[in-house]
Order: sequence, then C-alpha cells, then structure tokens
Amino acid sequence: MNIAYKHIIRFVIFAFLQALVFNQLNIGFGIHLMIQPLYIMLLPFELTVIPLMGIAFLLGLVIDVFSNTYGLNTSALVLMAYLRPIVFKFYGPREGYDPLKEPTAHDMGISWFGLVYGILLSLHTFWFFLLEIFEIGRFGFILQKTILSGGLSFLLALLIQSFILNSKQKK
Amino acid sequence: MRNLIAFLQRFRIFLVFAILQILALSWYVTYLSFPRNQFLTTNNNIAIKVLEWEHDLTKHFNLSKNNTDLQWENIYWRKRQPQFMYQLSRGKVKINDTIYEQQYAYIPAEVINSSVNRRNNYFTLNVGSAQGIKRGMGVFCQQGVVGIIHYVSQHYSLVKTVLTKDINIDVSIHMKKTDLPGLLKWDGRDPRYGMITGINNDLRIKKWSKVETRGGSGIFPKGLPVGKVSFTEPIEGQALWKVEIRFSADYRRLQRVYIIKNLHLAEQTALEDRIPEDDE
Repeated sequence: MNIAYKHIIRFVIFAFLQALVFNQLNIGFGIHLMIQPLYIMLLPFELTVIPLMGIAFLLGLVIDVFSNTYGLNTSALVLMAYLRPIVFKFYGPREGYDPLKEPTAHDMGISWFGLVYGILLSLHTFWFFLLEIFEIGRFGFILQKTILSGGLSFLLALLIQSFILNSKQKK
Repeated sequence: MRNLIAFLQRFRIFLVFAILQILALSWYVTYLSFPRNQFLTTNNNIAIKVLEWEHDLTKHFNLSKNNTDLQWENIYWRKRQPQFMYQLSRGKVKINDTIYEQQYAYIPAEVINSSVNRRNNYFTLNVGSAQGIKRGMGVFCQQGVVGIIHYVSQHYSLVKTVLTKDINIDVSIHMKKTDLPGLLKWDGRDPRYGMITGINNDLRIKKWSKVETRGGSGIFPKGLPVGKVSFTEPIEGQALWKVEIRFSADYRRLQRVYIIKNLHLAEQTALEDRIPEDDE
C-alpha cells in the first residue's frame, strides 16, 4: 500500500510540475522540456503492460488538458508504456529484475538507466514531434527538435533523480 | 494450442495499445479542426482554476514592460485627441459623427495560459460568452494580430493563434504603389517569424516593408499591423516568392489582448451568401 501511495503522490507532482512549470518555460530553438516520461520509467518493475498503458493514458490526458495539446502527450506516453517492458526485457539481467529494486539510476546504476531511459525517451520524443509537426519534407526539423528537447529532458531527468529521489531514499 | 494462447496474449496487449492510440489520435485530429467537448481543454472548471491560480502568481513578471507599452499607447492616442492639439483654422475643425459610424467593438482580455514552442499554440483568455465572445472573432494586441477565437465557454475562451499550422489570415504587404495580398502561415520554427504564401514574383519586395491585415473576411479591420518582411527568396519551379516576416508582436510575453467584434459581420455574410455557387 505504501508503494501505491508513493506513486499516486508522484503522479500528482509530475503532472503539476509539467503543466505549470515546464510547459511555461520558453527556452527557444523549439525546445520543449518533458518530465512525464520519467514517471512512466520509474513505475515498479512488476507492473504489467496493460495497467502501465492505463496509467500512461491517464497521465497524458491530464497533461494534455492543461497544455491544449489534444491527445499528443497521451499518444506518446502510451507508446512509451507499450515499449517499456520490451526494452526492459532486452537489457535486463539474465535472472530477471530484483523485485526489491526500482528502475532508478540510484538502484540500477547510471549506465543501465542512461541506456534504457535514453532509448525510451528518444522514441517518446520522436513520436511526439512526428505527430505534432506531421509534414513530409520537415524531417530534419523533427530530428532537430527531438535531439535538442530529448537531450535536455534527459539531463533534467538525471537532475530530478539526484535531487529529489535520492534525498527521499536517505530518509 | 499453447502457441495460440501465447499469441492471443500478445495480441490482447497490442489490441489495448491500439485502442488507446486510436482514442488519443482521434481526439488530436478532431480538435485541430473543430472542438466538440470543452471538458478536454483548458476551458474545463478544474484546469482553469489551477491555471488562474498560477497566472495570479506569474502575471507580475513582465509588469514593468507591459506598463511601459501601455503608457506609449496612451501617448499615441492622446496625441490624436482634438482637445490636445493646437487649432490652426479656428471654427472649421468639426468631427462629423454622421460620416463615421462605429464598425468594430473591442473587448479587453487577459491571457491566462499560453505556449509558443509547440506546432499549434493556443492561448486561454479570461473572457467568454458572458462577455459576448463568439467563435471566429479576431484577437489582437497593441503591437499586432494575435489570432482567432477557437472555442468559447461561459467565462473563458480559447484563441487559435497565428502560431498554428492552418491559421490562414489574409494579409497584404504594404508597398509604395500597390498592396500584395497573401496568406499568413507559420512553419513552427520560431515564434518571432512567420511566412506569407501566395505572393507572385513579378514584383520585387523591399525588405522591411510593412505587413498588415487586409480586412477582407470581416474578422480583422484593415490595416492592423502584423509584422515586417525580413527575408524573400524565389521558390524553385513556381512563380512565387517565399516571404518570411518578423512579427511585430512578441507572443512570448503577451498578456493583454483585445477581441474585435465586427458589428457589420452579419450584414457582410448575408450579402456574400447571395453569391451563386458554381455547380459544375
């Protein structure tokens, strides 16, 4: 029950941070910071794919409502939730994941987290901008936005982990 | 048999995935053209309360810049007031109200929520149908055109800004001898620059010539500023210019806007509906 509460509170925090802080930041160069993929990434290992997609759908819906993107975030997050078990399986240890551990950089090591989250985040971001722009002949622009936004969002995810999640675990 | 069950298991996951994707994408596609359900935008009660609360917190960030702008606008209009001018020919200056009738009414509003770095950017305003706002009205700010009202609830409305894919406001490039009509577009790259399509390349366009609204569709009055031409290039294989403009308004820090109500719009559309359609 403890772990469920933790993830529900985290859901609210992530949704509001994204809607009220990161959506309002205008860095320029078409950069759009996204932290909601990190929430999907940090859900426990033993969660199966269908509840995972349900949670992703809900989170995307909340963020879409707040940012007038009409289903873009929902679609990208559901795609990421669908791919998460596949990527996890591919890069997982041979004997399966330790159920006591969480998929964080702290528990699983920075190289594992960097690889898996990097793949999932870039797929999510690429899908998001592909749908958003949706024009043939603008592929370079889509890639540029994906690389810039994805790269910065990745650094932001590492930062959030090192500040918030680490201090929580020490207590 | 076991393989079949495993296959179905796998397929069931994909089926759920496909259904969720179709839900999300159909929502996305239908909203871009016509909004049906207000609950799924920022116009619903919960989201608007949170955004208003956030706006109360952040609205003072650009306060001094906005105040300076308003002061400049005040000076601009004050200079045009007859009672502040020196009357050169006494007894002859007269404002005849029977010649000029008011055609446009203006409603002031505040931007509660905005974005500029998406492909389609929408602003939320704090006025709605209670203030007489209707879908399709024009929105502008002191420096230039902002967009067209896309959806209205009782106390709030959603603006489809010029920073969207299919905004198509009719504008004209103001030149010395003629005006070149075209359509305003945005390519999603930079909120400071827009594009104008449909300009024939038989005339040279001077850099920094003014771009204004044309007022043909009755949404905007003629002569509202849009921006200035910053770059022109011939399109290969077509007799058209690729024209890039710099918007005169800075949409990144926009707070106060006006909504235009054309008092003659019903008359204009009633008249234009009489044009017989081609059945060929």
